[in-house]
Amino acid sequence: MEKISESVVKKDHAPKMSGRSVYVGDYSGDGVLTGKFLRSTLARAKVLGVEVPPLPDGYFYVDKTDVPGDNNVNIVLDDTPVFARDTVEYIGEPIGMVVGPEEQVVDRLLSEIKVAYEELAPMLDLRKADTVFFNYEYEKGNLEKAFAEADKVYEEEFSTGYQDQTYLEPQGMMAEPEENGHMYVHGSMQCAYYVHGAVMRALGCRPDEVHILQDVTGGGFGGKEAFPSILGCQVAVAARKANAPVRCIFGRREDLEFTSKRHPSLCVYKVAVKNGKVTGMDIDVKFNSGAYTTLSPVVLQRGIICASGVYSFDNLHVHGRALKTNTTPSGAYRGFGAPQTFFAVEMMMNHIARDLGLDSLQFKEANLARQGDATSTSGKYHFPIPLPEMINEVDRACDFRRKHLEYEKPQTGRYRKGIGMALWFHGAGFTGSGERDHIKAVCKLHKYPDGTVEVLASNGEIGQGLRTTFPKIVAHELNLPLEKVYYNHPDTARVPDSGPTVASRSLMVVGELLRRAAIKLRTQWIEGEDQIVEEHFREPDFMIPFYLDKFQGDAYPTYAWGVGAIEVELDTCTGISKILGAYGSFDVGTPIDYNIVIGQMEGGYLQGIGYASIEKMDYDSKGRIRNNSFSDYLIPTTKDVPNLKCMLHVEQYPDGPYGAKGAGELPLVGAPGAYVAAVEQAIGGKVSLHHAPFTAEDTLNVMMKEAE
Amino acid sequence: MVNGYAAASLDEALNLRASHAVVPYAGGTDLMVENRPNVTYLFLNKVSELQQIFEDGDYLRIGAGVTFTQALSDERVPQIMKDAVALIAAPAIRNAGTFGGNLGNGSAKADSVLIEFAADAKIRLQSLRGERIVPVEEFYLGRKKLDLSDDELITEVLLPKTGLDLYYYQKVGGRNALAISRVSFAGVFAQQDGKISNLAAAFGAVADTVLRYRDLEAMLLGKTLEEARGLKAEYLRAYGDRMVLTRGRVSAEYRKTVCMNLLNEFLTQFGI
Amino acid sequence: MDAIRFVLNGQEVSYEGNASDRLLDVLRDTYRATSVKCGCKEGECGACSVLMDGVLVNSCCVAMGAASGSSVTTMEGFRETKRYAVLDRAFAAVSAVQCGFCIPGMVLAAEALLSKTPHPTEDEIREGLSGNLCRCTGYNAIVNAVSAAAKEGNGLW
Repeated sequence: MEKISESVVKKDHAPKMSGRSVYVGDYSGDGVLTGKFLRSTLARAKVLGVEVPPLPDGYFYVDKTDVPGDNNVNIVLDDTPVFARDTVEYIGEPIGMVVGPEEQVVDRLLSEIKVAYEELAPMLDLRKADTVFFNYEYEKGNLEKAFAEADKVYEEEFSTGYQDQTYLEPQGMMAEPEENGHMYVHGSMQCAYYVHGAVMRALGCRPDEVHILQDVTGGGFGGKEAFPSILGCQVAVAARKANAPVRCIFGRREDLEFTSKRHPSLCVYKVAVKNGKVTGMDIDVKFNSGAYTTLSPVVLQRGIICASGVYSFDNLHVHGRALKTNTTPSGAYRGFGAPQTFFAVEMMMNHIARDLGLDSLQFKEANLARQGDATSTSGKYHFPIPLPEMINEVDRACDFRRKHLEYEKPQTGRYRKGIGMALWFHGAGFTGSGERDHIKAVCKLHKYPDGTVEVLASNGEIGQGLRTTFPKIVAHELNLPLEKVYYNHPDTARVPDSGPTVASRSLMVVGELLRRAAIKLRTQWIEGEDQIVEEHFREPDFMIPFYLDKFQGDAYPTYAWGVGAIEVELDTCTGISKILGAYGSFDVGTPIDYNIVIGQMEGGYLQGIGYASIEKMDYDSKGRIRNNSFSDYLIPTTKDVPNLKCMLHVEQYPDGPYGAKGAGELPLVGAPGAYVAAVEQAIGGKVSLHHAPFTAEDTLNVMMKEAE
Repeated sequence: MVNGYAAASLDEALNLRASHAVVPYAGGTDLMVENRPNVTYLFLNKVSELQQIFEDGDYLRIGAGVTFTQALSDERVPQIMKDAVALIAAPAIRNAGTFGGNLGNGSAKADSVLIEFAADAKIRLQSLRGERIVPVEEFYLGRKKLDLSDDELITEVLLPKTGLDLYYYQKVGGRNALAISRVSFAGVFAQQDGKISNLAAAFGAVADTVLRYRDLEAMLLGKTLEEARGLKAEYLRAYGDRMVLTRGRVSAEYRKTVCMNLLNEFLTQFGI
Repeated sequence: MDAIRFVLNGQEVSYEGNASDRLLDVLRDTYRATSVKCGCKEGECGACSVLMDGVLVNSCCVAMGAASGSSVTTMEGFRETKRYAVLDRAFAAVSAVQCGFCIPGMVLAAEALLSKTPHPTEDEIREGLSGNLCRCTGYNAIVNAVSAAAKEGNGLW
């Protein structure tokens, strides 16, 4: 193992372990007003009027008329309102907020407010949705020819459901007016500068009149990428009106029902096969955006770029649409559009192999992309693709090939086994030229006269270990003990914008900037002096320029790779698939800290298994999300996947720090393809499964249909 | 205390129950989730009389304040009850949750109550007026409706001491821990002189109350195993016709299929 | 009306509020024991776990009236013990703490488990922690840490 990979005690271990860490809900409530939302009860309606009861002293009602700046939250586009405009577009949309010193009084006031609506017909069906928020299309080769010349053409449809990030700390933000008239907003978030931009705009003020601090954050997984920008604007507007600190901490039900979650999807695949190889795919992808666009364009971009999986062939057409429905806006979640399409393509490949009478793994191996091949967007896989070795590693860990053959034979009796494997990648960093054109990351190192070094960057520690790995990189380059280098939660008043904490980019992109900054500091080091060095993002020179209008070029500089196998035992009486083992080999390049990276892999893989199996969330005919409590939306416990084995395969990336690539999202992405394939095999016969999560109820349904 | 009463003894508890409009609070694990506004609780968690397990004559008497954790470590508690109680939520809930509370909540998903139905348990109810002993099936009147007067407390579960060794139990939850039953099944079997003397089959979490159909059970009572095997198809059909299940987190159809599968497994396990 | 008296981390305290108030809220708001986290208020996540008379409970599911006369231990008290020091080292050694929100409750669940079962098997550890959700780790590191602490703390439990 490389020296840099050796595990250290995490810098934030002691305060978190001992319960001393202060999360936004932990600040004293003295003098702080509690804010709670008046939310729409209808999926689509005109708001004709809001009748607010007389408010006691110190209580305020806040709505769109109180927004001093722009009532549009800046995310990618500006359509998300701070507070509802003249119409409400989903159940739970914030119309206003009541703030005041006593929570019970706030609750009572909220219950007394009367809203007059003129109900409009909501759009709730993704298949019928006709408001296209985003529409992307790309192609290469000659697909028509591929279909004409194919031995056989396959067409199937796949769907996936919501997944909620379910960070253990619900959303929470606090805004505090400062004596100089500035606004200080802090809370649970991934992207301090996103919140900064949004609040600035909502308050209509200059950049220096607002500053944002990330508090200790109890998990994000994408859920705290864009949403805190909205909540940040809302509390800031309320604090401005009340001229007092306002805090809003979500309850679990509120969080599950009304915050962004993974886009449900509907994908149609049409695949041409000739001589046992895929020659072309025509793919149609639909994502349910919910009521506002939030991050849908970028989620959809990643989703469609990944739609053809880890395979290489010449003819491809992908059409992706993000469609509006009158439901909670969807958003970022670990994987960011890729889990949906990877599920579809992996199941599709299994089904084709079975029809051809081939072993699914052999069929996949025959179609794998190799170093130098073109990517889906006619970029290039510049670096080695270690999937064949990783497949063998997983095979050795769980005897995949033998079991897969054995379980393929007809099984009888109450309990039946199945095993499935999926192959996938994750392109680290922003899609396309986003890093170069939009983010333009800057970071600094501040060396104090006593020789300690502070990392100044805007990436948030959300559990993934940045407060440890950033200093590790810097300490390594400066030959300093780790205690001498530290990284605090970012405050936009004192750190440069090194970009958001998203896209598995922080370590690979910002970590490399910090490494270069550390080298610079080392060469300029003057004992006893106060010194600051700065570094700016540089795009690696091997990149083939990416054109978003054509989806052409290198969408990502490099890829992290994943191979996962999951073995289940299906109880045919109850439909429950017990997970006997989940095995994964993950290549995220050099681990900057072995324990931290393994923790990311295990945690992410288990989230992916939850997504595939028990995490079911849906809305009813009125557009209301029903699975809004922890007894209704189930995430895995200690007892659900006790046998979870993750391994690291290291294929170093020359432009990442010490060979590191993006890690955080990878382990989740392919899990559904492995799990549902295992269930499919356990059910047996010629059953083809097409959706995730695939629940015990789904299993019995399929078995009953088979029996008829 | 403000807006609450804590009883130190059963006598005091019965007095408080009779003289005030209170909600008996045993473990709190359901009540605190409901979070009723302006509620006045009668705290029973310090009433030691309710926290005992006794054996007498025909019954094991489990105090209403006995926690699930306590029952799991008591060797007198029959295994069928332990199987069910061990799968309730997780340790913290089992440490607080009680047999009396599980009954008083009135839910058909209550895991200990399912076993009480299958075991022909009785419930002891006490008030200043005296006491009643009611079969558990009669104690449940409907969805969240109990045969419990405003001045009464559930004080004991009376579980038969014999006849519970041959059983079949399965809980179907959404995951392996912290799971509320979506379907649960308990069957108890006994044979005497080569003939089936008990074939109790109870279904939990699928309707307003735990379901048990004594008239259908009677189809196989007094029969030899061979005779029962001959009647099995008819018996299962009768259950299929009778069971009208409600939908919840899962569909009624799923519940029905699982119930029928588990009933069939129960019979098969005992040679029917 | 008598106040509700109980012992919090070794100190006698008396609470003048409502008997139906949640122990969770009172610990956080009145006694500023903010290591006790609120994840759901429904007994379904374990983030608010505390020890009541040495037994693990979800403080969101305890009304103050039921805490009367009890001894309540939160992380604020437990972190001063030798047992904590052993668990602390074990959790640190495998980087079992990610976002940290579940951790105080998780560690108290581990303490409750080890008090009852000083040398638990992996299955027993997973059972003992089964009411404490963690979304970050996939649980392996936490389970390994508790197992290591049990070995390391030989005799402490």
